[in-house]
Amino acid sequence: MTTNPRRNLVNRCNALKSTGPRSASGKRASSQNSRKHGLNKTPDFESSSEYRALVDLIAEEGFSAFACADIAASLLNYRRVMDAYYDTYTSPEPVDEFLRDANVKASNPIFSKLLSPSGSEPQDVREMAAFFASMQRQERRKGGPVSRRSADSHKLIRYQRNGIARLSRAVRQG
Amino acid sequence: MLYNVHFGIYVDVAMPVEDKSKSLLPFLSSPKLLPDESESEFQSGLQSLLSELDNPSSLAVALVSQLNECLWWIRRHTADKELLLHEAMARLLSKAGNHWDTYDNHKVSEALERYLDDRADKDEAVWIDEILAESKLTLSDLRVRAFKDAAKHIKMVDDLIHRQHQTMRHLQRSIDSIDYKSRLIKRMDLELAALESKQSVKGALTLDDKSS
Repeated sequence: MTTNPRRNLVNRCNALKSTGPRSASGKRASSQNSRKHGLNKTPDFESSSEYRALVDLIAEEGFSAFACADIAASLLNYRRVMDAYYDTYTSPEPVDEFLRDANVKASNPIFSKLLSPSGSEPQDVREMAAFFASMQRQERRKGGPVSRRSADSHKLIRYQRNGIARLSRAVRQG
Repeated sequence: MLYNVHFGIYVDVAMPVEDKSKSLLPFLSSPKLLPDESESEFQSGLQSLLSELDNPSSLAVALVSQLNECLWWIRRHTADKELLLHEAMARLLSKAGNHWDTYDNHKVSEALERYLDDRADKDEAVWIDEILAESKLTLSDLRVRAFKDAAKHIKMVDDLIHRQHQTMRHLQRSIDSIDYKSRLIKRMDLELAALESKQSVKGALTLDDKSS
Protein backbone atom coordinates (compact mmCIF):
# COMPACT_ATOMS: atom_id res chain seq x y z
CA MET A 1 0.00 0.00 0.00
CA THR A 2 1.31 3.49 -0.87
CA THR A 3 1.81 5.77 2.14
CA ASN A 4 3.68 8.60 0.41
CA PRO A 5 1.13 11.47 -0.17
CA ARG A 6 3.04 12.69 -3.24
CA ARG A 7 2.97 9.20 -4.75
CA ASN A 8 -0.73 8.98 -3.87
CA LEU A 9 -1.48 12.17 -5.75
CA VAL A 10 0.51 11.04 -8.80
CA ASN A 11 -1.35 7.72 -8.79
CA ARG A 12 -4.71 9.49 -8.63
CA CYS A 13 -3.76 11.80 -11.51
CA ASN A 14 -2.64 8.83 -13.60
CA ALA A 15 -5.85 6.99 -12.78
CA LEU A 16 -7.86 9.93 -14.14
CA LYS A 17 -6.12 9.46 -17.49
CA SER A 18 -7.12 5.80 -17.57
CA THR A 19 -9.94 5.04 -19.94
CA GLY A 20 -10.45 1.39 -19.03
CA PRO A 21 -11.01 -1.25 -21.67
CA ARG A 22 -11.57 0.14 -25.17
CA SER A 23 -12.51 -2.82 -27.32
CA ALA A 24 -15.88 -4.52 -27.08
CA SER A 25 -14.30 -7.81 -26.01
CA GLY A 26 -12.24 -5.98 -23.35
CA LYS A 27 -15.34 -4.32 -21.94
CA ARG A 28 -17.17 -7.64 -21.96
CA ALA A 29 -14.29 -9.31 -20.12
CA SER A 30 -13.90 -6.58 -17.51
CA SER A 31 -17.66 -6.47 -16.85
CA GLN A 32 -17.31 -10.02 -15.50
CA ASN A 33 -14.26 -9.29 -13.33
CA SER A 34 -15.92 -9.56 -9.95
CA ARG A 35 -18.24 -12.43 -10.88
CA LYS A 36 -15.73 -15.21 -11.44
CA HIS A 37 -14.95 -16.38 -7.90
CA GLY A 38 -16.34 -13.79 -5.45
CA LEU A 39 -13.12 -13.71 -3.43
CA ASN A 40 -12.93 -9.90 -3.52
CA LYS A 41 -16.08 -9.67 -1.41
CA THR A 42 -15.52 -9.07 2.32
CA PRO A 43 -16.86 -12.21 4.03
CA ASP A 44 -19.04 -12.06 7.13
CA PHE A 45 -17.83 -15.06 9.13
CA GLU A 46 -18.75 -13.69 12.56
CA SER A 47 -22.46 -14.28 12.10
CA SER A 48 -22.07 -17.91 10.97
CA SER A 49 -22.65 -20.84 13.31
CA GLU A 50 -19.42 -22.53 12.08
CA TYR A 51 -17.40 -19.54 13.21
CA ARG A 52 -18.86 -19.62 16.72
CA ALA A 53 -18.30 -23.37 17.02
CA LEU A 54 -14.69 -23.01 15.83
CA VAL A 55 -14.01 -20.19 18.30
CA ASP A 56 -15.33 -22.31 21.18
CA LEU A 57 -13.26 -25.35 20.17
CA ILE A 58 -10.05 -23.36 19.63
CA ALA A 59 -10.54 -21.64 23.02
CA GLU A 60 -10.30 -25.09 24.66
CA GLU A 61 -6.71 -25.30 23.40
CA GLY A 62 -5.64 -22.37 25.54
CA PHE A 63 -5.63 -19.55 22.99
CA SER A 64 -6.74 -16.05 24.02
CA ALA A 65 -10.21 -14.86 22.96
CA PHE A 66 -8.73 -12.51 20.37
CA ALA A 67 -6.48 -15.25 18.93
CA CYS A 68 -9.41 -17.70 18.78
CA ALA A 69 -11.50 -15.25 16.75
CA ASP A 70 -8.56 -14.53 14.43
CA ILE A 71 -7.70 -18.22 13.87
CA ALA A 72 -11.34 -19.21 13.26
CA ALA A 73 -11.88 -16.41 10.74
CA SER A 74 -8.63 -17.14 8.91
CA LEU A 75 -9.36 -20.88 8.77
CA LEU A 76 -12.79 -20.20 7.24
CA ASN A 77 -11.25 -17.67 4.86
CA TYR A 78 -8.58 -20.17 3.75
CA ARG A 79 -11.24 -22.82 3.09
CA ARG A 80 -13.25 -20.27 1.09
CA VAL A 81 -10.21 -19.62 -1.13
CA MET A 82 -9.47 -23.34 -1.58
CA ASP A 83 -13.11 -24.06 -2.50
CA ALA A 84 -13.02 -21.28 -5.11
CA TYR A 85 -9.71 -22.71 -6.36
CA TYR A 86 -11.28 -26.14 -6.83
CA ASP A 87 -14.34 -24.68 -8.57
CA THR A 88 -12.15 -22.65 -10.92
CA TYR A 89 -9.98 -25.67 -11.66
CA THR A 90 -12.93 -27.95 -12.43
CA SER A 91 -14.98 -25.52 -14.54
CA PRO A 92 -12.72 -23.79 -17.06
CA GLU A 93 -14.14 -21.81 -19.96
CA PRO A 94 -15.29 -24.42 -22.52
CA VAL A 95 -13.39 -24.79 -25.79
CA ASP A 96 -15.35 -23.60 -28.84
CA GLU A 97 -14.28 -26.45 -31.08
CA PHE A 98 -16.23 -25.20 -34.09
CA LEU A 99 -14.49 -21.81 -33.99
CA ARG A 100 -11.08 -23.33 -33.26
CA ASP A 101 -11.12 -25.94 -36.02
CA ALA A 102 -13.03 -24.01 -38.70
CA ASN A 103 -11.33 -23.36 -42.04
CA VAL A 104 -11.75 -19.58 -42.48
CA LYS A 105 -10.53 -19.47 -46.09
CA ALA A 106 -13.05 -22.09 -47.15
CA SER A 107 -15.85 -20.20 -45.38
CA ASN A 108 -15.90 -17.14 -47.67
CA PRO A 109 -18.91 -18.37 -49.73
CA ILE A 110 -20.81 -18.97 -46.47
CA PHE A 111 -20.01 -15.41 -45.26
CA SER A 112 -21.11 -14.08 -48.63
CA LYS A 113 -24.47 -15.88 -48.34
CA LEU A 114 -24.89 -14.78 -44.73
CA LEU A 115 -24.29 -11.11 -45.48
CA SER A 116 -26.72 -10.88 -48.36
CA PRO A 117 -28.51 -13.76 -50.11
CA SER A 118 -28.65 -11.72 -53.35
CA GLY A 119 -24.89 -11.03 -53.37
CA SER A 120 -22.68 -8.83 -51.19
CA GLU A 121 -19.68 -6.52 -51.57
CA PRO A 122 -16.32 -8.36 -51.55
CA GLN A 123 -15.06 -5.79 -49.02
CA ASP A 124 -17.77 -6.82 -46.50
CA VAL A 125 -16.95 -10.50 -46.96
CA ARG A 126 -13.24 -9.78 -46.40
CA GLU A 127 -14.03 -7.82 -43.21
CA MET A 128 -16.21 -10.60 -41.88
CA ALA A 129 -13.54 -13.21 -42.67
CA ALA A 130 -10.92 -11.05 -40.93
CA PHE A 131 -13.16 -10.70 -37.85
CA PHE A 132 -13.78 -14.46 -37.79
CA ALA A 133 -10.05 -15.13 -38.14
CA SER A 134 -9.23 -12.80 -35.23
CA MET A 135 -11.83 -14.58 -33.07
CA GLN A 136 -10.29 -17.89 -34.07
CA ARG A 137 -6.80 -16.67 -33.15
CA GLN A 138 -8.07 -15.61 -29.71
CA GLU A 139 -9.74 -18.97 -29.20
CA ARG A 140 -6.61 -20.88 -30.26
CA ARG A 141 -4.37 -18.74 -28.04
CA LYS A 142 -6.35 -19.87 -24.99
CA GLY A 143 -5.38 -23.48 -25.73
CA GLY A 144 -7.21 -26.64 -24.71
CA PRO A 145 -9.07 -27.44 -21.49
CA VAL A 146 -5.90 -28.12 -19.47
CA SER A 147 -4.30 -24.84 -20.55
CA ARG A 148 -7.50 -22.99 -19.68
CA ARG A 149 -7.87 -24.47 -16.24
CA SER A 150 -4.19 -23.76 -15.49
CA ALA A 151 -4.54 -20.14 -16.60
CA ASP A 152 -7.76 -19.68 -14.61
CA SER A 153 -6.31 -21.28 -11.45
CA HIS A 154 -3.19 -19.13 -11.82
CA LYS A 155 -5.31 -16.02 -11.24
CA LEU A 156 -6.16 -17.24 -7.72
CA ILE A 157 -2.54 -17.54 -6.54
CA ARG A 158 -2.57 -14.19 -4.76
CA TYR A 159 -5.74 -15.07 -2.82
CA GLN A 160 -4.11 -18.30 -1.67
CA ARG A 161 -0.94 -16.47 -0.66
CA ASN A 162 -2.90 -13.92 1.39
CA GLY A 163 -5.18 -16.56 2.90
CA ILE A 164 -2.40 -18.84 4.14
CA ALA A 165 -0.25 -15.93 5.36
CA ARG A 166 -3.18 -14.69 7.46
CA LEU A 167 -3.85 -18.17 8.88
CA SER A 168 -0.20 -18.82 9.68
CA ARG A 169 0.20 -15.42 11.37
CA ALA A 170 -2.95 -15.94 13.45
CA VAL A 171 -1.80 -19.37 14.68
CA ARG A 172 1.78 -18.34 15.46
CA GLN A 173 0.84 -15.13 17.23
CA GLY A 174 -1.97 -16.76 19.18
CA MET B 1 -8.21 -37.95 -20.93
CA LEU B 2 -7.86 -34.41 -22.22
CA TYR B 3 -11.58 -33.80 -22.62
CA ASN B 4 -12.76 -35.08 -19.30
CA VAL B 5 -15.52 -33.21 -17.46
CA HIS B 6 -15.04 -33.33 -13.71
CA PHE B 7 -17.63 -33.34 -10.98
CA GLY B 8 -16.40 -33.06 -7.43
CA ILE B 9 -16.71 -35.65 -4.68
CA TYR B 10 -16.62 -34.46 -1.10
CA VAL B 11 -14.19 -36.28 1.14
CA ASP B 12 -15.29 -37.20 4.61
CA VAL B 13 -12.01 -36.84 6.48
CA ALA B 14 -11.66 -39.66 8.99
CA MET B 15 -10.74 -38.09 12.30
CA PRO B 16 -8.05 -39.82 14.29
CA VAL B 17 -8.62 -37.74 17.46
CA GLU B 18 -10.37 -39.68 20.17
CA ASP B 19 -13.18 -37.21 20.77
CA LYS B 20 -14.83 -36.40 17.43
CA SER B 21 -17.04 -33.75 19.05
CA LYS B 22 -13.90 -31.70 19.68
CA SER B 23 -12.72 -31.77 16.06
CA LEU B 24 -12.71 -28.60 13.96
CA LEU B 25 -13.11 -30.48 10.68
CA PRO B 26 -16.94 -30.78 10.64
CA PHE B 27 -17.12 -26.97 10.71
CA LEU B 28 -14.73 -26.49 7.77
CA SER B 29 -15.57 -27.31 4.15
CA SER B 30 -14.03 -30.65 3.14
CA PRO B 31 -11.49 -31.02 0.35
CA LYS B 32 -13.11 -32.33 -2.85
CA LEU B 33 -11.75 -35.09 -5.07
CA LEU B 34 -12.13 -35.54 -8.81
CA PRO B 35 -14.11 -38.62 -9.95
CA ASP B 36 -11.00 -40.51 -11.10
CA GLU B 37 -9.15 -39.97 -7.80
CA SER B 38 -8.99 -42.53 -5.03
CA GLU B 39 -10.52 -41.50 -1.72
CA SER B 40 -8.74 -44.27 0.18
CA GLU B 41 -5.39 -42.99 -1.11
CA PHE B 42 -6.29 -39.49 0.07
CA GLN B 43 -7.24 -40.83 3.51
CA SER B 44 -4.12 -42.96 3.86
CA GLY B 45 -1.98 -39.91 3.04
CA LEU B 46 -3.74 -37.95 5.77
CA GLN B 47 -3.40 -40.77 8.28
CA SER B 48 0.32 -41.13 7.60
CA LEU B 49 0.82 -37.39 8.12
CA LEU B 50 -1.16 -37.49 11.36
CA SER B 51 0.76 -40.51 12.62
CA GLU B 52 3.89 -38.35 12.67
CA LEU B 53 2.34 -36.09 15.30
CA ASP B 54 2.35 -37.11 18.92
CA ASN B 55 -1.20 -36.68 20.31
CA PRO B 56 -2.27 -33.89 17.89
CA SER B 57 -4.68 -31.18 19.02
CA SER B 58 -7.86 -30.50 17.04
CA LEU B 59 -6.30 -27.38 15.47
CA ALA B 60 -3.22 -29.39 14.45
CA VAL B 61 -5.49 -32.02 12.83
CA ALA B 62 -7.29 -29.28 10.89
CA LEU B 63 -3.95 -27.86 9.68
CA VAL B 64 -2.60 -31.29 8.72
CA SER B 65 -5.75 -31.87 6.68
CA GLN B 66 -4.99 -28.66 4.74
CA LEU B 67 -1.40 -29.86 4.28
CA ASN B 68 -2.62 -33.14 2.82
CA GLU B 69 -4.82 -31.22 0.40
CA CYS B 70 -1.75 -29.23 -0.74
CA LEU B 71 0.09 -32.49 -1.47
CA TRP B 72 -2.92 -33.61 -3.48
CA TRP B 73 -2.91 -30.37 -5.50
CA ILE B 74 0.80 -30.84 -6.26
CA ARG B 75 -0.03 -34.29 -7.63
CA ARG B 76 -2.84 -32.91 -9.80
CA HIS B 77 -0.72 -30.08 -11.17
CA THR B 78 2.20 -32.43 -11.92
CA ALA B 79 -0.17 -34.61 -13.97
CA ASP B 80 -1.42 -31.44 -15.69
CA LYS B 81 2.09 -30.66 -16.93
CA GLU B 82 2.16 -33.90 -18.89
CA LEU B 83 -1.40 -33.28 -20.15
CA LEU B 84 -0.39 -29.82 -21.35
CA LEU B 85 2.39 -31.40 -23.39
CA HIS B 86 -0.04 -33.93 -24.87
CA GLU B 87 -2.47 -31.14 -25.69
CA ALA B 88 0.22 -29.16 -27.53
CA MET B 89 1.42 -32.31 -29.32
CA ALA B 90 -2.13 -33.01 -30.54
CA ARG B 91 -2.48 -29.42 -31.71
CA LEU B 92 0.76 -29.60 -33.68
CA LEU B 93 -0.10 -32.97 -35.09
CA SER B 94 -3.55 -31.88 -36.29
CA LYS B 95 -1.90 -28.97 -38.16
CA ALA B 96 0.88 -31.13 -39.58
CA GLY B 97 0.83 -33.14 -42.77
CA ASN B 98 -0.62 -32.36 -46.17
CA HIS B 99 -4.27 -32.58 -45.18
CA TRP B 100 -4.22 -30.54 -41.97
CA ASP B 101 -7.57 -28.87 -42.67
CA THR B 102 -9.31 -32.24 -42.74
CA TYR B 103 -7.90 -33.56 -39.45
CA ASP B 104 -10.21 -33.18 -36.51
CA ASN B 105 -8.30 -31.77 -33.53
CA HIS B 106 -10.47 -33.64 -31.04
CA LYS B 107 -10.02 -36.94 -32.87
CA VAL B 108 -6.24 -36.48 -33.14
CA SER B 109 -6.08 -35.56 -29.47
CA GLU B 110 -7.89 -38.71 -28.34
CA ALA B 111 -5.93 -40.97 -30.69
CA LEU B 112 -2.61 -39.48 -29.59
CA GLU B 113 -3.54 -39.84 -25.92
CA ARG B 114 -4.16 -43.56 -26.45
CA TYR B 115 -1.03 -43.88 -28.61
CA LEU B 116 1.15 -42.38 -25.88
CA ASP B 117 -0.40 -44.67 -23.24
CA ASP B 118 0.09 -47.74 -25.51
CA ARG B 119 -3.68 -48.22 -25.60
CA ALA B 120 -4.19 -47.35 -29.29
CA ASP B 121 -5.58 -50.00 -31.63
CA LYS B 122 -3.71 -50.92 -34.81
CA ASP B 123 -5.59 -48.46 -37.09
CA GLU B 124 -5.06 -45.55 -34.72
CA ALA B 125 -1.36 -46.32 -34.30
CA VAL B 126 -0.93 -46.51 -38.10
CA TRP B 127 -2.83 -43.23 -38.51
CA ILE B 128 -0.64 -41.39 -35.96
CA ASP B 129 2.52 -42.88 -37.54
CA GLU B 130 1.29 -41.69 -40.95
CA ILE B 131 0.74 -38.13 -39.77
CA LEU B 132 4.14 -38.13 -38.11
CA ALA B 133 5.75 -39.42 -41.31
CA GLU B 134 3.90 -36.85 -43.44
CA SER B 135 5.11 -34.04 -41.24
CA LYS B 136 8.64 -35.53 -41.15
CA LEU B 137 8.66 -35.61 -37.36
CA THR B 138 9.60 -38.22 -34.79
CA LEU B 139 7.72 -38.47 -31.53
CA SER B 140 10.58 -36.85 -29.61
CA ASP B 141 10.75 -33.97 -32.17
CA LEU B 142 7.05 -33.44 -31.69
CA ARG B 143 7.49 -33.46 -27.92
CA VAL B 144 10.24 -30.83 -28.11
CA ARG B 145 8.14 -28.59 -30.34
CA ALA B 146 5.12 -29.07 -28.09
CA PHE B 147 7.19 -28.12 -25.04
CA LYS B 148 8.20 -24.90 -26.77
CA ASP B 149 4.56 -24.18 -27.65
CA ALA B 150 3.19 -24.98 -24.21
CA ALA B 151 6.04 -23.30 -22.27
CA LYS B 152 3.84 -20.42 -21.11
CA HIS B 153 1.20 -22.71 -19.62
CA ILE B 154 3.79 -25.12 -18.17
CA LYS B 155 5.34 -22.13 -16.39
CA MET B 156 1.90 -21.30 -14.97
CA VAL B 157 1.52 -24.84 -13.63
CA ASP B 158 5.02 -24.59 -12.12
CA ASP B 159 3.88 -21.42 -10.35
CA LEU B 160 0.84 -23.27 -9.01
CA ILE B 161 3.06 -26.08 -7.69
CA HIS B 162 5.43 -23.55 -6.13
CA ARG B 163 2.46 -21.87 -4.41
CA GLN B 164 1.42 -25.19 -2.86
CA HIS B 165 4.99 -25.70 -1.57
CA GLN B 166 4.91 -22.24 0.03
CA THR B 167 1.50 -22.97 1.57
CA MET B 168 2.85 -26.22 3.00
CA ARG B 169 5.77 -24.35 4.54
CA HIS B 170 3.34 -21.93 6.25
CA LEU B 171 1.21 -24.81 7.52
CA GLN B 172 4.27 -26.69 8.77
CA ARG B 173 5.40 -23.63 10.73
CA SER B 174 1.93 -23.22 12.23
CA ILE B 175 1.80 -26.90 13.27
CA ASP B 176 5.29 -26.60 14.80
CA SER B 177 4.22 -23.54 16.75
CA ILE B 178 1.14 -25.36 18.17
CA ASP B 179 3.28 -28.39 19.01
CA TYR B 180 5.94 -26.21 20.67
CA LYS B 181 3.27 -24.35 22.64
CA SER B 182 1.71 -27.54 23.96
CA ARG B 183 5.14 -28.95 24.88
CA LEU B 184 5.99 -25.69 26.65
CA ILE B 185 2.76 -25.85 28.67
CA LYS B 186 3.50 -29.51 29.59
CA ARG B 187 7.03 -28.60 30.68
CA MET B 188 5.77 -25.67 32.77
CA ASP B 189 3.18 -27.96 34.39
CA LEU B 190 5.95 -30.45 35.26
CA GLU B 191 8.19 -27.71 36.67
CA LEU B 192 5.29 -26.35 38.72
CA ALA B 193 4.53 -29.83 40.07
CA ALA B 194 8.23 -30.29 40.95
CA LEU B 195 8.30 -26.90 42.72
CA GLU B 196 5.11 -27.75 44.63
CA SER B 197 6.50 -31.10 45.76
CA LYS B 198 9.75 -29.41 46.84
CA GLN B 199 7.74 -26.80 48.74
CA SER B 200 5.72 -29.48 50.51
CA VAL B 201 8.91 -31.35 51.50
CA LYS B 202 10.41 -28.08 52.83
CA GLY B 203 7.21 -27.35 54.73
CA ALA B 204 7.28 -30.82 56.27
CA LEU B 205 10.93 -30.37 57.29
CA THR B 206 10.30 -26.99 58.94
CA LEU B 207 7.34 -28.45 60.83
CA ASP B 208 9.62 -31.30 61.99
CA ASP B 209 12.27 -28.75 63.14
CA LYS B 210 9.68 -26.77 65.11
CA SER B 211 8.25 -29.87 66.80
CA SER B 212 11.73 -31.12 67.79
